[in-house]
Amino acid sequence: MLKPLNYICPSAMILIVDDKPENLFSLKTLLEINRYETDTAASGEEALKKILKNNYSLIILDVQMPGMDGYEVAETITGYSKSKDIPIIFLSAVHIDKRFITKGFASGGVDYVTKPFDPDLLLLKVKTFTRLHAQTSELNRIKATLEQKVEERTRELREMNKALETSNAELQQYAFLASHDLQEPLRKITTFSRIVWDKFLADRPGAEEYLAKIISSSERMRKLINDLLNYSRLSNDALFVSTDLNDLVKDVETDLELSIKEKGARLEVGPLPKADVIPGQMRQVFQNLLSNALKFSRQDIPPVIEIWAERVAEMKLDSAPESDGPFVRIYIRDNGIGFNEIYLDRIFTIFQRLHSRHEYEGTGIGLALVKKIVDRHNGVLGAQSAEGAGSTFTLVLPLIQVPVPPITTPHG
Amino acid sequence: MAKQFSFLLVDDDPDDTFLFGEVLRDVASSVVLSTAANGHEALEQLRASNPLPDLIFLDLNMPRMGGVECLSTLKSNAELSRIPVIIYTTSSQSKDIEETIQKGAVCFITKPSNIKELSEILTTIVQSLPTNLEPAIQTLSKKGTHFIIC
Repeated sequence: MLKPLNYICPSAMILIVDDKPENLFSLKTLLEINRYETDTAASGEEALKKILKNNYSLIILDVQMPGMDGYEVAETITGYSKSKDIPIIFLSAVHIDKRFITKGFASGGVDYVTKPFDPDLLLLKVKTFTRLHAQTSELNRIKATLEQKVEERTRELREMNKALETSNAELQQYAFLASHDLQEPLRKITTFSRIVWDKFLADRPGAEEYLAKIISSSERMRKLINDLLNYSRLSNDALFVSTDLNDLVKDVETDLELSIKEKGARLEVGPLPKADVIPGQMRQVFQNLLSNALKFSRQDIPPVIEIWAERVAEMKLDSAPESDGPFVRIYIRDNGIGFNEIYLDRIFTIFQRLHSRHEYEGTGIGLALVKKIVDRHNGVLGAQSAEGAGSTFTLVLPLIQVPVPPITTPHG
Repeated sequence: MAKQFSFLLVDDDPDDTFLFGEVLRDVASSVVLSTAANGHEALEQLRASNPLPDLIFLDLNMPRMGGVECLSTLKSNAELSRIPVIIYTTSSQSKDIEETIQKGAVCFITKPSNIKELSEILTTIVQSLPTNLEPAIQTLSKKGTHFIIC
C-alpha cells in the first residue's frame, strides 16, 4: 500500500509572518531579490490558515505580535503533522526566550534573528534552512519508497517460499513413491533368483556364478534405493528436543554390537552434553560415522574409536574452547585406513566414493546424509585424515536451537 | 486325529502369495491355506467362514482396505479378535511396527527375501500350534537376521 505522498519535493516557498506591513515588505523584497518565492501573513491566525492550505519550506516568524505571539504559533505549527518538519526562524526585537532554542523541535530547524537584522546573516540562515528542509523531504520520500520496495520484496519472498515448500513436498512424495514402487520388483528379482539357484542350480557352477551377480546387483540396488529414500525424506519439520547425547551414542553402540564384536573393536566415549537435536537424525549421524569407522578399519589392527567433546565459543571447527560456550565440538576419531585430505570436498558429496564397491561396500550416501543433518542442525562438519593414519570427524553444534518463525502470510 | 490347522493369508501380491503357499506346503502339508487379496475380501471371507482360521497373516499395503484398517476391524469384533494376527509385509518402518503391535498384532514380520528364512519362520510357527504361539514368536524375534519384532 502506497503511503500518502505528503513528502513531495517542496517549492522553496517561504512564509513571512509579521503584524507590521513595513517589515513584511522589506523582508519580502530582500528574499525575492535573492530569488526566493515568498508569501506573507499579518497574524498568527492567518499564518496557520495558510500553512494548512499551502506547502512552505521555511517560516520566518515575528515573535511580538498582538493576538497569538510567535511562540504560540510555533507550538501549533509543530503540532500539525503536515508542518512539523518545517524550519522556523524567529524574528525578535528582544532577547529570545531560551526555551525555544534549547527545546529542540522535531526537525531541528529552529533559529532566531534579532531586529534590526543583518540581511546577509538572515539570507545565510534562510539558505541553510531551506536546504535542510529540502533534504529532510527528500529523505522522507526515499524512506517511503524503500518501505514500499521492502514490502514488495517480502511479498515476493513469501510467495517463492510457499512455492518451494510445495515443490519440496511434491518431490519428497515422488521420491517415496518411486522408491517404494521400485523396491517391489527388485525384491522379486532377488527372491526368485535365489529360488532358481537353490532349486535348480546347486550342481551347476557356471550358472551359479552368473546368478550370484544378478542377486548381488539387485541387493545393491535395493540398498541404494533405501538410502536415497532416507536422504530425500530427511524431515524438515521434525522438532528439536533437548537430548542427552550419551544416550544416543549408547543406542548406536547397541545397534552396532554385532559388528563391534566381529571386528574386535573398542569404543571409548567421553562425556557428551545435552543439546537441542532432532534425536532420530542425530542418532543417524553417530550411526553413520561409527559404522564407517568400523568399516574402514585396517585389516590387521582392531579398530579403536574415540568419541569426546568440548564446549567452544564459536560455530567454527577451530574455535577456541570455552567451558560455558554456547556450542559443543564433538570428535570422532578412528585408527582406520584414513583418506587423503585432497578428497575432503568430495567425501561429503552424495554418491562420491573413494573406493570401488569391490573394496568396500557402500552407496556413497552415508556422509552426505551426515552433512545434510548437521546443516539442518545449524552446525558445522569437518574431517581430518591421512592415508594409513586414521580419521577424525569433527562436528560443531549449537547447544540451544532457536526455532525459526515461519514466514507466514499476513492476514488481510 | 490331529487337528487340521488353517491359515488365512491377506496379501495383494500374487507372487508372495504363491511363494507362501509353496513354502507352507513343503513345511506342513496338512495346514490349509486360504487367501484374500485385501482387507475387505478378508473380512467377507471370515464372516462366511466356519470354522475360523487359527492364524491370520496380514499384509499392510493393499488396495481397497489396507492392513491397519483390517486389523482394527478384526480386533473390534468379539469373535474375530480371538484369532492371532501376524503382520507380514515388505515394510520395515518402525512407525508401522508400533502402530500394528499397538493395535493388537502379535508379531511383525518383514517379508524375507529368501525362501530358507520363510521356511524357518513357518516351521517354527506351525510346530508351536495350537497353544505355544507366544513362545515360538519369542524365539523368532531373537533370530535378528531380519526384522521380526514382537
